[in-house]
Amino acid sequence: MLVQVTSPPPPPVTTCKCGEATEEEKLARIGEVVEAFRDKPGSLIQILHLAQGIYGYLPIHVQRLVAEKLDIPVSEVWGVTTFYSFFSTKPRGEYSIRVCMGTACYVRGGMEIVKRLSQTLGVGVGETTPDGKFTLEVMRCIGACGLAPALLVNDRVVRQVNPDKLNRVLALCG
Amino acid sequence: MTPDTTLFRPTSKADLDAVAARWHEGQATKKHQLLVCAGAGCVSSGCHAVKHALLAAIKDAGLGNDTVVHETGCLGSCALGPTLVVQPDGVLYTELKPEHMKGIVKQHLVHHEVVEAHCWVDPATKEPVPLLSDIEFFHRQTRLVTARCGSTPYASIEAYIASDGYQALAKVLAGMTREQVIQEMRASGLRGRGGGGFPVGAKWQAGFKAKGAEKIVVCNADEGDPGAFMDRSLLEGDPHAILEGMLVAGYAIGASQGYVYVRAEYPLAVERLEVAIRQAREWGLLGPNVMGTPFAFDVEIRIGAGAFVCGEETALMHSVEGKRGEPRQKPPFPFERGIFGKPTIINNVETLANVPVILRNGGAWFASLGTPKSSGTKVFALAGKIENTGIIEVPMGITLGEVVHDIAGGIPKGKRFKAAQTGGPSGGCLTREHLNTPIDYDSLVHLGTIMGSGGLIVMDEDSCMVDVARFFLDFVQDESCGKCVPCRIGTKRMLEILTRITKGQGKEGDIDLLEELAANCRETSTCGLGQTAGNPVLSTIRLFREEYEEHIRDRHCRAGVCSDLFKSPCQNACPAGVDVPGYLALIAAGRPRDAYYLVRRENPFPAICGRVCTHPCEDKCRRAQLDEPVAICDLKRYAADYVFANDEPHRDLVFPKKAESIGVIGAGPSGLTCAYYLARLGYGVTVYESLPVAGGMLASGIPEYRLPKEVLAKETRLVEQVGVRILTGVEVGKDVKFEELQKKHQAIYVATGTHFPNKAEIPGEDKAGIAHGVSFLREANLGRAVEIGSNVVVIGGGSTAFDAARTVLRLGAQKVTVLYRRQVEDMPADPREIKEAREEGVEIIPLVAPVEFLGNGSVTGVRCVRMELKGFDDGGRRKPRTVPGSEFVVEADMVIPAISQHSDLPFIDRDEVQLTKWGTLVVDKETMMTRKPGVFSGGDVVRGPDVAIQAIADGKRAARAIDRYLGGTGVLNKGEEIPIPRPVDESDVAEHERFPMRFLDPESRRKGFQEVAAGFHRLNAIAEAMRCLRCDRR
Repeated sequence: MLVQVTSPPPPPVTTCKCGEATEEEKLARIGEVVEAFRDKPGSLIQILHLAQGIYGYLPIHVQRLVAEKLDIPVSEVWGVTTFYSFFSTKPRGEYSIRVCMGTACYVRGGMEIVKRLSQTLGVGVGETTPDGKFTLEVMRCIGACGLAPALLVNDRVVRQVNPDKLNRVLALCG
Repeated sequence: MTPDTTLFRPTSKADLDAVAARWHEGQATKKHQLLVCAGAGCVSSGCHAVKHALLAAIKDAGLGNDTVVHETGCLGSCALGPTLVVQPDGVLYTELKPEHMKGIVKQHLVHHEVVEAHCWVDPATKEPVPLLSDIEFFHRQTRLVTARCGSTPYASIEAYIASDGYQALAKVLAGMTREQVIQEMRASGLRGRGGGGFPVGAKWQAGFKAKGAEKIVVCNADEGDPGAFMDRSLLEGDPHAILEGMLVAGYAIGASQGYVYVRAEYPLAVERLEVAIRQAREWGLLGPNVMGTPFAFDVEIRIGAGAFVCGEETALMHSVEGKRGEPRQKPPFPFERGIFGKPTIINNVETLANVPVILRNGGAWFASLGTPKSSGTKVFALAGKIENTGIIEVPMGITLGEVVHDIAGGIPKGKRFKAAQTGGPSGGCLTREHLNTPIDYDSLVHLGTIMGSGGLIVMDEDSCMVDVARFFLDFVQDESCGKCVPCRIGTKRMLEILTRITKGQGKEGDIDLLEELAANCRETSTCGLGQTAGNPVLSTIRLFREEYEEHIRDRHCRAGVCSDLFKSPCQNACPAGVDVPGYLALIAAGRPRDAYYLVRRENPFPAICGRVCTHPCEDKCRRAQLDEPVAICDLKRYAADYVFANDEPHRDLVFPKKAESIGVIGAGPSGLTCAYYLARLGYGVTVYESLPVAGGMLASGIPEYRLPKEVLAKETRLVEQVGVRILTGVEVGKDVKFEELQKKHQAIYVATGTHFPNKAEIPGEDKAGIAHGVSFLREANLGRAVEIGSNVVVIGGGSTAFDAARTVLRLGAQKVTVLYRRQVEDMPADPREIKEAREEGVEIIPLVAPVEFLGNGSVTGVRCVRMELKGFDDGGRRKPRTVPGSEFVVEADMVIPAISQHSDLPFIDRDEVQLTKWGTLVVDKETMMTRKPGVFSGGDVVRGPDVAIQAIADGKRAARAIDRYLGGTGVLNKGEEIPIPRPVDESDVAEHERFPMRFLDPESRRKGFQEVAAGFHRLNAIAEAMRCLRCDRR
């Protein structure tokens, strides 16, 4: 029984580098990604990960592009995009601060950290600061429970965060 | 590590053995193997920088040919990272920084000396413990599945093979039929480790029997339970083990395609797994001819996108198909119709990692581990309020107490264990009474929770169980896919109710409604998420119902978490509700007089409490998270002492006189407080006290060096000044009958405390020279003559024991020894008192219990037996057990047993009131009234021996209750309101430990009864008060 040996490239789960490519270039790259996966059934989620990595988020026109190229209704793409918390239809700030709200982090004071950050940055959870620098989010357990309370600044895990020393965390963002 | 240019592909056990031999030979040429933990936790703690520094240091020392550095998977001790293990010495170094590497290389590798500065330190002995095998956290584990994590480089397939890797696969392909493999799995008794606990053998059997040309094996790596990170550690630390497990599974059921569904939050796991897959393919262990046989199997990774529900198997399958991760009805089960319609078997990461272990050693061997119905081991992720957070692997059947206390190191900061949450949002809690429970699948279900995937979150007294339930509901509500009504709407309604309760808007009937909704969800939801959504709520209601009721009925959160219910955690913790941030702010603003009067609104005895209170407020002080709790108690004393030194009259509101009068029996803190507040409402109050002086336990129990008589007298006088009449030397029942009081007064408050010492109930207790704690102290404190021995033994560990020990020392004893049946850290006495006692020369012998008092007529010694701590009692403390044959004698010419007290009520007719089995009075919780109308009670006589501030709080509540009983509103006259300075926002809070208070030196202290604590200097008091974070700011 012949079995396919190649596996698709790993989706980069990082924020985009928006400033580096034009709109056309980004959409073209997304088109290429869809082509690469077209014949693999069940790849929509992997495609959307890569598309978000390229574009930074998944606005409706990007979803339409994916839907057209896959020859599926855009409602299906919309349904998947809005189901999974990793996908965002709104742009994110340069730095996504995601405070882990898993049980261990919660028990060790996660809520206090969210409150203080919200006060300091002046935004609510899920919102981006007007200057586009920070997005404050709450994340489900990131699996760093031994280092609770933890948060992510983009991909970087910051451990044993002290609510009285949040300025140090923000300093990491330049 | 790239393979040989001849592209070696092992096809047999012999081939694998050859690879292993070559690897071991290579390693043996090195003098040292240095293992750097590169689990996700350590990566976040900077282990890569440490590794680079290590390599550089090795190169500089010229040891490149003699040492090899490997990156391994998670060692399990996450909070100690980054770590380094030096083999073959077996030494562990912790909390490393790049700058430490030069020193370690030089001292350990060159000079062969252990670097103690970087070893783990045992918190009990404060000694460094260099060897991994000596550290309890490690040696108490049974690492089968996690064996390679921390000991083997995860990125090397040769290292995997050299540690018995792929041996199970070779054995299976060499000559086992598919039925034989399944039989072995059935014999092992392995149950699904993802949480369901379904027998794996049976599942594989169903997969084997399913009809279909193409079948699929799925590894469920969507570890979504918050607090669970075991699967992550396995994937990142030993990825080949999962591949081997999947290969065996594929062979057994007849599948040729495998998927690993990994959650998107684990990019490191995806990365390492991909490397392993690539290596396995290059070595012919995955692909069209696995190990050169006709068996074809390959693995693909599918990444999730942040949906907890995708851990449920039908939702997972839809996600693999690229759809919304919504679950569907079962049947059809995955093995009937799965991904793309094909028969599918789904197993958890840990389950699959167990497969090679089982096939190598045999199913029967595996079944002999653990418990009969839950064989093998379980990997737990320990998190929350414990010393040693991280990953452990222990046999099924280990007790919860052993995990929490022996392995996890207990609760930090001296706090008490409250609950352990298992099973994530689908599980429930275990409490102190379950510490002796063996952990296995069935015992946990029996206790109302589930094993779940292995996340074990420990909570202490600072966790509010209502808030915990709300937290889980919030999670479940967010993650609910929305497909079915009971889950989508049921969880939302439950969340709304719980949120209301935590905000102080709870209603009668909320608890019943929660139970009904939870039952509804369980019975009618489509998938496991909805069915188990109510579990945390039901579990916490069952085990912590009083907390729910306190939130709803009293608007009180005892843990100090639900911030809508209180001003600040410290004020919330004070039984009398003193405005702590308020008075600290006043002291910091240079207004100690106002601070004193602010305290007096809620507590008439600031000078007294500032000296003897057990300060529950300081235990909740949020400053402790930064450096140390604020010295709230000592500062109260400072304010009081200032006012006494600069005595001026104080303006006060006075209410007009009322007709009624109240009789208070007992001039202790409870009685005097009740009298004080009633007098301020205009009632006539008379207090009847049998001793010649007022104060109760404050006068008779607490010695002069802790609470000078002068201070007690001053604050008692202030009580008299509002109109209270205190009659000393009058014993109710003897000098005046209780019935007379009932005729004279419209209400009575009984506050006689617990002044009768408990007996040790051992032979010889009636000998001369044995004086029981509170009786001895009463005589000494009232200035009466007492016989003092020169070699004194005190039995007990509470305040009474230490007060007695230090009093007898000051009265002339040469040697004083305290015997206690548990350990010093378990002693109820304040740590400061214990420290001061030791400084004064008092010796303590822990883990000892008296058996007999020896002597002829007069005591000459105490025969004792040693105790050891085994198991746990209902209060969550370790249970002391006598060690047979360990008896010994402690010589003494005076013995003071101080082992708690009880109350006695000779003046009340037993038939007219209700007493508990310990002799305390029963009162209505709301009205504080006994069964006798108009007769109220509070303080120790109701609670049993307790603390002063609690008695004071009871007195206040009783005053309110009596006022209401007599037709009043129950609103107290607390005096003028005092404006409090607003908090000023600091941009960054600087750390600073407590500013010091002055104390008398130990040598001077022993000679007399001068007060030991000398109070704050003004500048230190103001500075200390400024450390307050003003948690009352809004």
